[in-house]
Amino acid sequence: MSAPRTPAPPLTAAGLTVRYGRRIALDDVSFGVEEGSVYALLGLNGAGKSSLVRCLLGLRRPESGTAKLFGRDVWSHRAEVLQEVGVVPEEPDAPPTLSVREIARFSARIHSKFDRAGFDQRLRRFGVPADVPFGRLSKGQKGQVALALALAPAPRMLILDDPTLGLDAKARRSVFEELIGELAERGTTVFLTTHELAAVEGIADRVGILRDGRLLIDEDLESLRGRFRRLRFTRPNDGEATLDRALADLAPVTIERRAWGVEAIVSAFSEERWAPLAGRADLGSPEVEAVRLEDLFLALVEPPAPTGASVEPRGAA
Amino acid sequence: MLRIDPSDPRPIWRQIEDGVRHLVARGALPPGESVPSVRDLARDLQVNPATVSKAYQRLTDDRVLVVHRGEGTFVADRPPALPETERDRLLGEAALRYASRATTLGAPRPVAIGAVGEALDELAAGRSESPGGDE
Repeated sequence: MSAPRTPAPPLTAAGLTVRYGRRIALDDVSFGVEEGSVYALLGLNGAGKSSLVRCLLGLRRPESGTAKLFGRDVWSHRAEVLQEVGVVPEEPDAPPTLSVREIARFSARIHSKFDRAGFDQRLRRFGVPADVPFGRLSKGQKGQVALALALAPAPRMLILDDPTLGLDAKARRSVFEELIGELAERGTTVFLTTHELAAVEGIADRVGILRDGRLLIDEDLESLRGRFRRLRFTRPNDGEATLDRALADLAPVTIERRAWGVEAIVSAFSEERWAPLAGRADLGSPEVEAVRLEDLFLALVEPPAPTGASVEPRGAA
Repeated sequence: MLRIDPSDPRPIWRQIEDGVRHLVARGALPPGESVPSVRDLARDLQVNPATVSKAYQRLTDDRVLVVHRGEGTFVADRPPALPETERDRLLGEAALRYASRATTLGAPRPVAIGAVGEALDELAAGRSESPGGDE
């Protein structure tokens, strides 16, 4: 990776707190996105993603804390900082009677760097007709138009709020292919929220997981993949107490008793910690396997009834 | 010909690196063959181009792949002639990774050693078949 062009990171959130009446939507959320990296923010509906994105886009003033893009406060410098950011909102909006071509013509007038040829190529790749009024496009097509519009001025950063929501599998793939192309060509910094966990697994450098307004995880994906594992113990001999003691060092997130034995997802796996357990016959021939991001996410955001297990979130250092 | 498995504990760049090494070792990617560009492979595998780039960089550093400026990336003409000490160091690292894996799977020592012999035999057999046979 080359050195950043400016000392200010593309995005920093510090202590963001948002309240709606007495309800806390965001609770002291801090994280940063490094130049040229892809940050994926995950969370169930209602976890606070929308509130966070609204703060990042200067659409909502947080009760406390700050959101900065390229070192400048978004709330007080909104128009200026968003010049350098391409945005795909959750509900893409444009005048419904204007055709996509007319919208592009208008956007090109207000953005000096608007790449019209690149925009047209993307539309063709997406298969979105240029002469149909925006209001008559499907939800997926509107999202694709929004992505093409966001990319056309060659932004330094992209903020995508669930860009594949409501798209079929083919259209979802096309959106991620465009993103991958953009990353390959320009190394654009990307912040996205999504439910598309399989895609995140391939492209994200860093992952944030929001639960009930709090940032439970803010960590490099490779590090997360390294420390989470699913362990299976078929019929451990005397069961629970021995097993729980043996697992304690591995920081179990979930421990589930099943008919065939016990399954656990642990958050502090390492070969060194595992080696002493691997050969223990009294634990019922243990097995270990990697955990997909989706399973890891579900284990963290909807932990089953506690069985002595404790969540061990690990934030940024 | 390369596949990424999200339930594989190895980082994705390592899966790509190991996958290419495997294809080269069994002759499916013969010397001089061009490999896909970073962008094309990233698109095929639906992964971040930086991930592919990291794998290619390591393969280039180890002289499994060579870059011809303006033309692309190719499989090196002959197996890299590493100094023995360097070769042994890399071999030791790979062996340690394998030994850790074998231990965590609970494989007894003779079984673990036997599996290495079988894998070497399989690669040797693959080389004598026509390249690109069973991808």
